[in-house]
Amino acid sequence: MFEQSEAVRLIAAVARGDTTAFDRLYQASAPKLFGLILRMVRDRPMAEDILQDSFVRIWTRAATYAPDAGEPLAWMAAIARNRAIDHLRAKPSLRKVEEEYDGWFENLAEPQDRERGILDAEILRHCLGALDEMTRTCILRAYCEGFSGRELADRYGRPENTIKTWLRRGLAALKVCLDKDG
Amino acid sequence: MSDDRDMRAADYVLGLHDAAGRAAFAREIERDPTLRAAVAEWERRLSPLAISAPDELPPPDMLARIRASLPVAGESGEVVALRRAVRRWRGIAAASGAIAAALVLFAGERIWREAQPPGVYVAAINRGGAAPALIVRVDIGAGRVIVRPVAAETPAGKSLELWYIDDGAAPRSMGLVGAGAESLPLPGGTRPEKAKFAVTVEPPGGSPTGGPTGPVIYSGDLIRE
Repeated sequence: MFEQSEAVRLIAAVARGDTTAFDRLYQASAPKLFGLILRMVRDRPMAEDILQDSFVRIWTRAATYAPDAGEPLAWMAAIARNRAIDHLRAKPSLRKVEEEYDGWFENLAEPQDRERGILDAEILRHCLGALDEMTRTCILRAYCEGFSGRELADRYGRPENTIKTWLRRGLAALKVCLDKDG
Repeated sequence: MSDDRDMRAADYVLGLHDAAGRAAFAREIERDPTLRAAVAEWERRLSPLAISAPDELPPPDMLARIRASLPVAGESGEVVALRRAVRRWRGIAAASGAIAAALVLFAGERIWREAQPPGVYVAAINRGGAAPALIVRVDIGAGRVIVRPVAAETPAGKSLELWYIDDGAAPRSMGLVGAGAESLPLPGGTRPEKAKFAVTVEPPGGSPTGGPTGPVIYSGDLIRE
């Protein structure tokens, strides 16, 4: 990835229609976005379509990016996640999933791109670690692997409303923990 | 912000809804700036999880595919005009041969840099803004690539392999990353102003397939020295 200030500058240039800046933004961020999309959809051709959609959206929405609302990569990642979830929900029958939840929480301690990133990741890891295991697993499988409430209910053999209640309780606790430390 | 709206924003960011629920919520966000802010806050809070995904290299032609599908509405007048002009010249070139082709080369130079400028290019190969793991220096005149490891970390029982990626082409192996500096021949037909280097983790001895198989841990673009 690249310096945050550089990314902010590139997005501003993309908003003005600068295709060279767009190419640089793509080169700096596409492997990360492709990685997170693949982790959700587990199908390369579909992930490629989603990556394409995501960058078209980054191009058209660049003018709406507000630097004080979050880091550039977080903004782009949110776009990619939303496109991935839209694709998954459009064709739920084609869904490919891993049988078992696969350690995204543990990987959160991996070195991040920036000092601030490391700090944020550490705090999130700490706060997720304070949740009970089932709630944490459901949050991670939803966020990292794109499971819907329905899919979590099927996978874990609980009514969807029960899952949603757990998740809301977990998310509320997560918010208190994150906002206190952040 | 009521707790209920905040929790609904969290549900949405987590992705719990089905297609209809998502579409309805997305419409609600468009109308409601407070809800939109709550969604943005949840996206920010959870983003380290998104960024924790391991990098994966998209296919080499991906950028070209994306560029071809960009709507022109967001473009500046200059870019739109230039792109239209190039398209027109391309048509003329196809129809009337060499003279028009020369015109394309001249007029479309900003987009199609056919001529390879001589010179020296360098890339600092790193993991997102961290200190360089490798320095790669490309000397066009001498036809050599000099690879100098600085702080590349090889995972136990694996090899690090260096790849040269020409714009729009498949990655080409430049060999394994060793402990000392190495001078390698420059791959033919390189266009250094569009090229990048990446380092992947491979089985001991390098990729068994001839293309990258492991995660990219370092990468960098070539820049003119």
